[in-house]
Amino acid sequence: MISRQQVRNFDVPLLLLGVGLAVYGLVVIYSATHFVDYVEDPFYFVKRQSMWLAMGLAGIFVVCLLDYINLYYWSRYIYLFAALLLVLVLIFGEGTARDPDILRWIRLGFIDVQPSEYAKPALILMVAKYLSDKQKYLGNFWNLLPAFLYTLIFMGLIFLQPDLGTSLVFAAILLGCLLVAGIKRSHLMAIIGAGIAFIPVLWQFMGSGQKARLLVFIDRSHDPLGAGYQLLQSIIAVGSGGPWGRGMLEGPQVQGGFIPEQHTDFIFSVLAEELGLIGAILLLLMFFFLIYRILWIGTQAKDTFGTLICTGVAVMLVFQVVVNVGMAIGVMPITGLPLPFFSYGGNALLANFLSLGLVLNVGMRRQKIQF
Amino acid sequence: MQKNVLARFKLLLIMVMACFILLAGRLAHLQVLEHDHYRDRADHNRITRFPDPAPRGKMYDREGEVLVTNRPGFVVSVMDMGDGFDPETVSFLSDTLEMDEEEIWERIRGQSRFMPVKLQEDVSDEVRVKIAEQQWKYSGVSIDAQYVRDYKYRETGGHLFGYISGGIIENQAVLDRWEEMGYDYDNRHVVGQDGLEINWEPFLRGKEGEQLVEINRMGQKVAELDHRKPEPGHDLHLTLDAGLQEAAYQALEEKIEKLQEEADEDEEKPWQGSVVILDPNSGAVLAMVKYPAYDPNLMPEKYMEKYFNAPGSPLYFDAIKQTYPIGSTYKPVTGITALEEGAISDSTTFHCAGAMERAGITKRCLGVHGHSNIYRAMAVSCNIFFYNTGLEAGIDALSHYTQEFGLGKYTGMNDIRGEKRGTVASREYKERRFGERWYPSETMDAAIGQTFHEFTPLQMAVYVSMIANGGVHYRPYLVQEIIDGDGGTVMEAEKEVMHQAGVSEENLEIIQESMNLVTEPGGTGYYPLHELEVEVAAKTGTAQVGRGITPHGLFVSYAPYEEPELAVAAIIEHGSYGSTSAAPVVNDIFEYYFSEDEQNGEEGESSEEGEEQDD
Repeated sequence: MISRQQVRNFDVPLLLLGVGLAVYGLVVIYSATHFVDYVEDPFYFVKRQSMWLAMGLAGIFVVCLLDYINLYYWSRYIYLFAALLLVLVLIFGEGTARDPDILRWIRLGFIDVQPSEYAKPALILMVAKYLSDKQKYLGNFWNLLPAFLYTLIFMGLIFLQPDLGTSLVFAAILLGCLLVAGIKRSHLMAIIGAGIAFIPVLWQFMGSGQKARLLVFIDRSHDPLGAGYQLLQSIIAVGSGGPWGRGMLEGPQVQGGFIPEQHTDFIFSVLAEELGLIGAILLLLMFFFLIYRILWIGTQAKDTFGTLICTGVAVMLVFQVVVNVGMAIGVMPITGLPLPFFSYGGNALLANFLSLGLVLNVGMRRQKIQF
Repeated sequence: MQKNVLARFKLLLIMVMACFILLAGRLAHLQVLEHDHYRDRADHNRITRFPDPAPRGKMYDREGEVLVTNRPGFVVSVMDMGDGFDPETVSFLSDTLEMDEEEIWERIRGQSRFMPVKLQEDVSDEVRVKIAEQQWKYSGVSIDAQYVRDYKYRETGGHLFGYISGGIIENQAVLDRWEEMGYDYDNRHVVGQDGLEINWEPFLRGKEGEQLVEINRMGQKVAELDHRKPEPGHDLHLTLDAGLQEAAYQALEEKIEKLQEEADEDEEKPWQGSVVILDPNSGAVLAMVKYPAYDPNLMPEKYMEKYFNAPGSPLYFDAIKQTYPIGSTYKPVTGITALEEGAISDSTTFHCAGAMERAGITKRCLGVHGHSNIYRAMAVSCNIFFYNTGLEAGIDALSHYTQEFGLGKYTGMNDIRGEKRGTVASREYKERRFGERWYPSETMDAAIGQTFHEFTPLQMAVYVSMIANGGVHYRPYLVQEIIDGDGGTVMEAEKEVMHQAGVSEENLEIIQESMNLVTEPGGTGYYPLHELEVEVAAKTGTAQVGRGITPHGLFVSYAPYEEPELAVAAIIEHGSYGSTSAAPVVNDIFEYYFSEDEQNGEEGESSEEGEEQDD
């Protein structure tokens, strides 16, 4: 099933970067959660995340078994299945105890499924297939419309949960793939322009919480009791960490529980407070090499489908990293996007590993002749 | 790979690099250049959120007098400053607050950091000073201003107002009603627990504010960063007449204490009584009293110690929740029934020789009244007349007209919940309850308000209102208007007709006239009310509650007779004769009300003179 050549082509550094980030994340998750009082075991969150990490590795193995070209034919069904899950979450979904009105999970008893995470690789496959089919005809604007439709369906379903941040990831994926697939510059500009024009419409449909978070980004003093409080505490944590950090388990902001959502959305603040600029730059470098490696594999792919898969995965990760880190240091609005591979959250971790598996698969079956 | 695709990849990579460099630059700025500033903020101060409680809505009487308000007080709290609680701090608090150390540990164990835990509310000045002086030694101890509910009238309005306390509401009906009103009940909150406080909780509560404050290492506030102001609760403007309420409570208290002194050792002592006063023209509750009542200022602290086992069950609002046999105060129903059914006319007479026999059973009267028509029979409360009248009318008609006058029916009182329905003596009731058929002798008992008839004091007040106002059952209500923090009207009550009794005006006038004769010379209510200048219509009642047990004393009345302003029902449990127990209480109430009225009138006419007199 797998040739020796393919094994040789398996990109070990990429896998190590992904696993490295996740392990790095486990350390920081421990620091952020070991004291919480609603679970007895201080390793509770670490253990759960490790379990998902193991599933992620198994997922990579499974994804790499078959030539990704099969996925080219299955992409439509994968897309439809993901869409079905997104509809189901709106009907049967549940939110967190804190935000019961935000529908995010389908509870299956033994496990909670968060369909929006799996929708990301599903859309990447669908868009990659479509754009690779139509690559020669992309000069005609009308040929872009189906790709928009695929993307907007997912965005709309996720926006209804409501989860604005995650739905924007899909827009980024589409834009990245369009750019690499080679659409006209004028079209690209028109799309971005239309997107900006759409913001006021979006505003009408946004919940008060989302609006508050965006307003805080524009004006720091807006609602300091709610969203402003989170931002302020996070920035104090990052700034007080300094170049070398407070040391593991030593950050007063983290250990005092001042930072909201510190094992998920604001995990970067924990890292920056306890491990300082050094730890934060290490993280950014790891991400940079991960992205670089994915893009490199994209250039080596044997077909446009593979190239676009790599593009989509890279853009998906970059967007989330930039938004998440930017949010923790006050240069991006608070949108509730997790830090890929790093934040606590099993579904995201598994989906990211599956996406990484797609890239590794493309890399294993790349062209023999390189230029 | 095409060249142009490679070029686009390069563009993408450059964009990624640019983003990462921007992030790294901002990070370096925060963590290197501004590091000292943020380190300082993190080390010396903490930013946390404190709730800012909303003042609960006040309650006013019909004249705008404050009945229930909030006064400033102080609450002592302690909070975990990040490294647990210090045993020394706990021991200091235990000494100062006179609480067991164990109890304090119990309260604070497992609480989140930087969240103050209330230990004692409304502390004395002494405690406040001691804490303020020594606070600097103990981290996490704080003393903050708070609102303390202040019930101006203490026991006098206890059951009406209710009280507030923490604690879970178990009554599902209450929770459902709150939910209907869109009220977000949180069982960690202090909420209304009885009376108006529980019934109007969603309006009274207001909306808690929040303070974003910096606290120092000791847990004290250093600076306020932001403040979301609390929204005060809505005020209730009641139909209540505070003076009348107080007069009623005092009159009951005095009478019951006096009766207790007079009672023989082996007699059932009168422990409690109720008075309900309605405006017969609208159903507005002017006073509603049960003696003894609890002082809401002492609740819930003294619940067990002072009230739970106290005689006269001060926790229970018998005025709406207790049903009684009402004795002769029922006779107006018998009269109107017989008149309506055509069984008698106002000239029909029966002869009373002190006793009568029917179907082998001998029934007695309290006197030997000779021949009397309905006017005289009502005035002297002749049992023989009403036995006969009842028999002529029959039990089915009696049951019907009982309910026509709101007896044995919910009165519709919604502002305070929990009224009892009572029971109406009827064939169906006896069949259902005992599986037995009805006997004519029971009709005779029913005709004088005995057997299975049992009604609440509130129903009696509605009943006498209906006699006064021509048969209209107005829904009794206590909340006239609800006003929000900006002075806007949230809700305004209007009088609501629940039922119009199906009786003729002429017959009702006969009953009114006969009841007026009760307070005339020769009537059973003459002596206790003879000093009053106002014309009163009334009926006394002495309800038998069992062989050898002192009967309940009752009195229903309205005044002035021509243009009724007050409809009053009064009962003293085991008070013996209505004319010697309940009637004197009502006399005191009328005396207060109508003499006050005169004073008001004089003041209105010549206010300057009044001022001079005051000097």
